[in-house]
Amino acid sequence: MNDNIIEITGLVKTFRDFWFRPLAAALKGIDLQVAKGDVFGLLGPNGSGKSTTIKIVLGLLKPTAGKVSLFGLPPRDRRARARLGYLPELSYLHPFLTARETVRYYAGLSGLDRRTAHVRTDQLLEQMGLAANSNRAVGGFSKGMARKVAFAAALVAKPELLVLDEPTSGLDPLATRDVKELIRSLAADGMTVLVTSHQLFDMQDVCSRVTILSQGQVVGGGTVADIVAKSADPRHALEDYFAASVQA
Amino acid sequence: MRHSFHLALCALVRGRVLALLLAAVALVHWLLPDFVRSDGTAAGALEMWVRAVPGVVDVIVLLVVLVVACGLFAREREEKRLALTLVRPAHALGVAYGKWLALIAVAAVVLLCSSALTLLFPPASAVSGLPPCRHHYEPKMPPAADVAGHLLESYLADPKTPEAVKKASRSAVLTLLTTKEIDRYDVVKPGATMMWPYGLEALQEKITAGEPLALGVRFSTQFEMRAPVAGKLRLGPYTAVVSNTTQSVLEIPLKKADAISPEKDSQLDLVFDNTGKTAVMVRPRRDLVVLARADSFAWNLLRAQLEVLALAALLSAYGLFLSASLSRPVAVFTALVTFLIVLMVPSVVAQFPDEFNAEFADRIGLALSRAVSTVTSSVSAPSPVADLATGKAIEWPELGRLLLGNVFVFPFVLLSLAAFVARRKALPDMD
Repeated sequence: MNDNIIEITGLVKTFRDFWFRPLAAALKGIDLQVAKGDVFGLLGPNGSGKSTTIKIVLGLLKPTAGKVSLFGLPPRDRRARARLGYLPELSYLHPFLTARETVRYYAGLSGLDRRTAHVRTDQLLEQMGLAANSNRAVGGFSKGMARKVAFAAALVAKPELLVLDEPTSGLDPLATRDVKELIRSLAADGMTVLVTSHQLFDMQDVCSRVTILSQGQVVGGGTVADIVAKSADPRHALEDYFAASVQA
Repeated sequence: MRHSFHLALCALVRGRVLALLLAAVALVHWLLPDFVRSDGTAAGALEMWVRAVPGVVDVIVLLVVLVVACGLFAREREEKRLALTLVRPAHALGVAYGKWLALIAVAAVVLLCSSALTLLFPPASAVSGLPPCRHHYEPKMPPAADVAGHLLESYLADPKTPEAVKKASRSAVLTLLTTKEIDRYDVVKPGATMMWPYGLEALQEKITAGEPLALGVRFSTQFEMRAPVAGKLRLGPYTAVVSNTTQSVLEIPLKKADAISPEKDSQLDLVFDNTGKTAVMVRPRRDLVVLARADSFAWNLLRAQLEVLALAALLSAYGLFLSASLSRPVAVFTALVTFLIVLMVPSVVAQFPDEFNAEFADRIGLALSRAVSTVTSSVSAPSPVADLATGKAIEWPELGRLLLGNVFVFPFVLLSLAAFVARRKALPDMD
């Protein structure tokens, strides 16, 4: 039985202008698989195609060519979308909603009934340490608090796949540590996580497997354990591997 | 849909759109009556007050709803929140409907408040209360287009008809003949009698109950402005006398006659005997209307506000469609330009009915104006403020048709399109 949550084969994405003339080739035929239970790191320098890949996986962009399946379904299928949670690079919360309303809103959009949504919202706000501020408008929250609300919103429907785009971007060290611990605990509970980041130390800490993209192509990848085992400097193993792959 | 509704409602309430609208309503009701000038009659004062106060509120509500709708999808997309919504397993159509319903709810609250203020603080001229509205019954004549069609057939069959007319575009000639038929004058010479068919089925109950009726009529005279008109009017069992009046627009009370022969009763025609010395001209399709008491001003106000709400529903659906397709400034600009075009096109069509003498470019313009006028008639045709101001009862069947189209059919189409586009344009253009 195929245990892959995400399967991408020969994925090509070319952005076109108004007259359909090719503007930029963001992805040039990438293949990758994310297995159930993986914490999968999608790494690469700016403009390498990470965000485009994620947007295609989320069904927000249509591929030019190639095949993408999410839980064996097309990414735009509602059944597939019902099983994923997404945390974007910035939290993008509605500033006029309170933390509780925000999480309930996304719970509702995910199809949770009112009672379950209330229970799950309270649980998550408690877990994120936001219970005391749950009735404050998120427009007045610090970046770290807003990130926690966004995390709660992404997790509210108990997704099987969590897609995290730069989850520690702009966070202070303590908040970064909290996020990493959260990812580890989610992985321990069996959740599959697809994560992109430029923070290679953090990625080495949380990921089980990585793929490195450069200029729209896969230029390296493997399990973090193997990469660390083969490295002369295990503390900087992923950083060295990344630099070697991208500059090759 | 429920969650999207709640979100959009929170945005409108906490974003102070509702508060600003309510403040605008209060200001209009408080300040504008001082600036209203009328012809000095109670009816004229009420008409001007209705046009100036509830009328201005209605225009504000429609414009604000349109402009706000133009931002609902576009703003979410620009701030990258739309993508977060659309990665969830929610239907994009449900999301669009939620936003649309929130706009309707806000418009409904504002119109309700405006109505309450209208009834609580009526104009000073309405000392004896706001007058009841009246049904308007027009002569029962065959449709002008059918009459024009028959006329055209007879012209084409007539060997004396000039070749130029026979070779002209059939639709152009028909349009011209239809307009001529609508504006056709019947001339009643001194001592002559003219009859206009007036099916009174709709009025039968009122006739049986002996309710007072009136005839609204505009007399024109042939060679002299405001020559005195005199004559007798008969409408089924009702009669009235017109004695040497020089007024062109008249409202003539009709009295139930004691002795009317059954034959005359059954004719149900409006008959005018010209007993004066001047030939009288009447356009039967424009100048004659039987007025019968309907219900109170308050009920008519409710129906008028429902019409405005139906217009707001259609405009907000259109705004949401633009918002899903375009960036916010472009959507607002397009919406406002369209709104102006929709308001102006009917008068262009009415003022330039004859396309025979026009240049080619003018003919294209006329054809386009007619097409736009036809497509947008659900927005431009209803005139709730004018009806309320003149005391014309807004009829429930007419209102039902408007609600069906503007609240159910057209918004469904527009919101489906909006949902389709929103899903394909969930990300900003530069992303």
